[in-house]
Amino acid sequence: MSRIVGRPVPRVEGHAKVTGAAEFTADVHVPGALHGVMVLSTVARGRITRLETRQAERSAGVAAVMTHRNMPRLTVPEPHLLVKRFLPLQDTEIHHSGQPVALVLAETLEQAQHAATLVRVSYDTQPVRTVFEDAMDDAWIPPPEEEPGETPVPNELTRGDPEGALARADLRVDVTYTTPIHHHNPIEPSATTAVWRGRKVTVYDASQGVTAAQESIAQALDLPVGHVRVISRYLGGGFGCKTPWPHTVLTAAAAREVDRPVKLVLSRSDSYSLHGHRSQAHQRLRLGARRDGTLTAIDHVTTQQVSRTEDEFLPSASVPTRRLYACDNLSLAQRAVRLDLPTPAWMRSPEVMPAHGLECALDELAYAADMDPIELRLRNHTATDPETGEPFPSKHLKECYRRGATAFGWSERNPRPGSMRDGRIRIGWGMATAAHSAGGMPGAAARVTLSTEGTAQVQVATQDIGTGTYTVMSQMAAHVLGLPLDDVDFVLGDTNLPYASLSASSATVPAVGSAVNRTCTKARQKLIGLAVADPRSPLHDLPADGITAEEGTLYQTSRPERRDSIRAVLTRHGRPLDVATEAPEESGEQYSTGAVFAEVRVDPLLGQVRVTRMLGAFDPGRVLNRRTIRSQVIGGFIWAVGFTLTEHTLLDTRYGRFVNRNLSGYLIPVNADIPDIQALFIDQPDPTSQALGARGFGETPMCGMTAAIANAVHHATGRRIRDLPLTQDKLIASAS
Amino acid sequence: MKPFDYTRTARASEAVRLVAARPGATFVAGGTELLNLVRDRALAPDLVVDINQVPLSGIELRDGTLHVGAMARMREVAEHPVVRSGFPVMSEALLASASPQIRNRASIGGNLMQRTRCWYYRDAGSPCNKREPGSGCPAITGQNRWHAIHGGSRHCIAVHPSDLAVALSALQATVVVLGPRGERSIPLKDFYLLPGTTPHKETALRHGELITGVTVPGSRSARHSRYLKLRDRAAFEFAVVSVAAALTMEGSEVSDVHLAFGGIAPRPWRSAEAEAALRGRPLTDSTIASAAQALVSGAQPREHNTFKVELVRRALADILTDLGGRR
Repeated sequence: MSRIVGRPVPRVEGHAKVTGAAEFTADVHVPGALHGVMVLSTVARGRITRLETRQAERSAGVAAVMTHRNMPRLTVPEPHLLVKRFLPLQDTEIHHSGQPVALVLAETLEQAQHAATLVRVSYDTQPVRTVFEDAMDDAWIPPPEEEPGETPVPNELTRGDPEGALARADLRVDVTYTTPIHHHNPIEPSATTAVWRGRKVTVYDASQGVTAAQESIAQALDLPVGHVRVISRYLGGGFGCKTPWPHTVLTAAAAREVDRPVKLVLSRSDSYSLHGHRSQAHQRLRLGARRDGTLTAIDHVTTQQVSRTEDEFLPSASVPTRRLYACDNLSLAQRAVRLDLPTPAWMRSPEVMPAHGLECALDELAYAADMDPIELRLRNHTATDPETGEPFPSKHLKECYRRGATAFGWSERNPRPGSMRDGRIRIGWGMATAAHSAGGMPGAAARVTLSTEGTAQVQVATQDIGTGTYTVMSQMAAHVLGLPLDDVDFVLGDTNLPYASLSASSATVPAVGSAVNRTCTKARQKLIGLAVADPRSPLHDLPADGITAEEGTLYQTSRPERRDSIRAVLTRHGRPLDVATEAPEESGEQYSTGAVFAEVRVDPLLGQVRVTRMLGAFDPGRVLNRRTIRSQVIGGFIWAVGFTLTEHTLLDTRYGRFVNRNLSGYLIPVNADIPDIQALFIDQPDPTSQALGARGFGETPMCGMTAAIANAVHHATGRRIRDLPLTQDKLIASAS
Repeated sequence: MKPFDYTRTARASEAVRLVAARPGATFVAGGTELLNLVRDRALAPDLVVDINQVPLSGIELRDGTLHVGAMARMREVAEHPVVRSGFPVMSEALLASASPQIRNRASIGGNLMQRTRCWYYRDAGSPCNKREPGSGCPAITGQNRWHAIHGGSRHCIAVHPSDLAVALSALQATVVVLGPRGERSIPLKDFYLLPGTTPHKETALRHGELITGVTVPGSRSARHSRYLKLRDRAAFEFAVVSVAAALTMEGSEVSDVHLAFGGIAPRPWRSAEAEAALRGRPLTDSTIASAAQALVSGAQPREHNTFKVELVRRALADILTDLGGRR
C-alpha cells in the first residue's frame, strides 16, 4: 500500500537517544533549581508524633524542609487524575510504609540527600494488616469505577447458568493461581522539575500523560488548567507508573512555596512506594467442558490487593475471560482486599494476571480432555464478541494458531509430560492465546501545519513512552499527506499541543493514530484543493478526488505524468496551511490477539528453568512499522519471562515494607535469560480502525506468554506449579 | 550522602597511614561496591582514600603458588591463562559474578570486602544489627529466602556474597594484608568472621589494614576444580547456593578433596565432615550422599530458605559427579 507505512523505519529519535542529545526529564537543568529528596516513613500505619527538622534545616545548602507543617493545603485531584486518594505532607497520618513525611530542598543533590538523613521522625504506630491471605475472607466486590471517556466495567458478571453447567459438565477443572507483587522498574526514574513564572508553572515531568499531569497539578494547587504547562519529551519506559502520582504535585507546590525552581528525581528505592505496583493476586478458575473440549462453563474469581486509601480501583480486569472464548455460561467476580500497603497501579499488560490463570487452566483442561491445546482453543474460538454478540470486525486468531504452530514446529511435540529430554534436561513446549484490549480511552486532537517549503509539522500532546510513537506517527502523517518521511516533524510531550490522553491501555494507535490520520487527511484535501484551484498548477481544474499525494508530489491518479510538487503548491500559496481537529470523546475499544509458543529446558535436579525459544504470531490489524512492533513483542515476552520466572517484590508483613527495593534484589531478566525471539504478523487491516487499519497492540504479547512458559514447564516436568514465580525452591520441591 | 574527604595515593604504605589515622576512613578501589553502600546509607565514611594507582595488580605463578595483586581487576584474573589452567574454579567463580562492566572495574581486594546483599542491611528504613548494632535482625523471622542455613546467630543470618571468596576457600588461599605495623598473612579460613554477637565485624582486618594480595597454592586438585553457581536468573545475580570443589582422584578413589559453599552461610562455608566422607573413598552415589548429608547436618534453615538444605546437597552431588568424571 505504501512505501512508508509498514516499513521497518528506525526510530526517528534514535540518533538523539544513542548520542545523548535527547534530554530526558532528569537531565533537564534549570539554573537555580533546588534539589529535592524525600524522607519516607518507616512505619505502615499510625501518626507522626514528632518530626525534628532543625538539624536538617541547618545542614549545608539546605533551603527548606517541607513537611505537613509548612506545606500549603492542597486539594486531592479527582480519582481519574490521581488513583492514590490522598496527598502526603498534608497531615500527620501515615497510610503506608514509604510514605513521604518530609521533602528536603537543597542547593545540591548530595546536600539534600545528607540533610534527609538528619530528619528525625517518631510515630505512634497502629497494628497493620498486610497479609494478603489473611484478608481473603474480607474480600469484596467494588462497584465499577467511572472514568471520563471510558466505559465502566462491571466487577461482577453472570451469563447463562454457570453453576448448573458446571454440575452437568463432562470435564471439570478447578484450580487456583497466585501471583506476587511486581514493580514497574522502568530504566528512567520518575523525575519532576517545576519552574514558576508569576502564577504560571512549567513542569518538566517524566510523564506518560502530560495532560493528566497538568490537570492533576491544576486541581491540587487550585489553578486554572491553562496556568500549568507539562513537558515530557522523551521517556525511558513507564509501564503504568508514570501516570500522575503525588510527587509531581508536591514538587510543584514546594517550588511555589520556596519561590525557586525545584527538581525531584526519585531514587530506585523511593520508587517502590511512590508510584504503585502490580497487586498480589489470587484467582480461582472453574472450567466445565464437554468431552470434546467445548467449554460449557467458566467461573473466574480474581482477588487483588488495594490499599485503605482508595476505592473502586482494580487495575487487572478479567477481559480475556469475558471476550476470548465462546462460552454460554460464565460468571466472573473481581474482588479486592484492603491492606496497609501503598496504592497499586496499572502495570504493563494489566490483563496478564487473569490471562495467566485462564490460559494455564485451559492447558489443564486440554490434558483432562486429552486434546492438543491448540485444538482445544480452536474448538472454543469465537468470531463474535461474547460481550456484545456482534462479530469481531477483523479477527485472524485462527490463522495465528496455524502460522505460529507451523513456525514453531508444534506438530513435533510429544504431548506426554517429561517425554522430551536431552540427557537429564527435560524439554517442555507450551502455548497459549495472547490477547489484550486496546483503546477505550479518550480520543486525541491534532494539528498539522504545512510550511511554504512543503514540510509538515504534526502536533499532539501525547508521549513516546518508548514504543515508537515519534516514528510511527511520523510514518502515518507522511503516508497520509504524501510527503517523504524526512519532511515530517512529529511533535509531542507538551500540554501546549492539541489534547491527548495517557500513553496507556495500548491506546496510542487508536487514539493518536486516528487523530493524525483524520487531521492529515483533511490537510491533504485542503492541499489538493489549493492545487486544483490554482491556475498555475498543472493539476488546475482536475477533480480533487482524482488526485494522489505521494512522496512530495500530487499527481492525477489516472495520468501520473500530470503532476505538481507539494512544495510548489504551498510556495505559490505563500503562507502555511494549518489544519486542526478536535478530540472525540472516546478512541474506540479494540481487541488484538495472537498465538504464543515457548520452549523451556528444565534441570529437575537443580531446579533451573531456562526459556530457550519464544515465538508469537499476532493479529494487530495493519502493521505500521515492522521494527517497532517487533520491539513490542520482544518487550512483552521479556516481561513475561520476568513475571513467570524471576520477578517478585518481597513484603515484610510485620512492617508492611517492601524489602528488595532495588534492581539487585528485584530480579528483572537479563540478556542471558532471553533467547532469540520470533514474531510473525498476519498484517491484515482492521476495517473499523481509524488509524489506517492498525489496532492498539503493545500489551498483547505479554498476555499469553506467561502461561505459555508455565505450560511448557508443566510439559517438561509433569508438575503444575500454580504459584509464581517458578523459582528453584518450587521446582525442586515438586520435582518427581 | 554525608560529605566526605577524598584523597589518592600511589603508595600502599601511605594509603594505610591515611586510613589508619582516621576512624571513619576507608579505601576505595573499583568503587562498584562502596558507592552503593554509601548511597544506601549502609556506610558513611568521612575520608575515602583512592588506591587505584597503587601498583598491586600483578598476576603470577612463583614456585607453584599463584600471587594475585589486590588491585588486579576481576576480568584480568578470570581471563589469565595461568588462572584458567591451574585454578579453574577461580576463573569460573569470577565469570559467574556480576556483569562484564563490573568485572572490568572491580578489584580482587574489593571483591573480598563486599558486604552482604541482605536487603535489610541495604535498606536504611529497616533495622539491622550489621548496619546499626543493637537495632535487631528482621531477617530471622522475616524475608529470609536468601539467608544462611549455617553459621548464623540470633543477631544475624546474612550470607557473604563473594563467589571468589568461595573459590579461594576451597583452594586454601591466604590473604596478604599491609597494616600500620607491617605485613601479615591471614589464611582465608580465618579471614571472615561468623556474626556471633558482633555481626558488624565481618573480617579479621583491623582498621587501616589493606589487602595487598592473595596467594593460592597450586596443586593437582586446584587444576581439577570447578565452581557451580545456582541462582534465580541466568546472570548478574548473587548465588542462592554455590559450590567450589577441587578434587583429585586416584583410580576410582578420592585422594584429595576440598569443598567450599556459598549462599548458605555468613562466610564461605567449609565442611570438614563432608570432605572426610569422601577422602580415601570411591566416588559413588553412596559416598556422595553421605558427604551431602554431612554437609547439611546441623543446618538451621529458616521459614523461607528450607529449600537450600536440599538444593545445596544436590549442587554438591552434581559438581562431584561432574568432576569425578562420572557423567
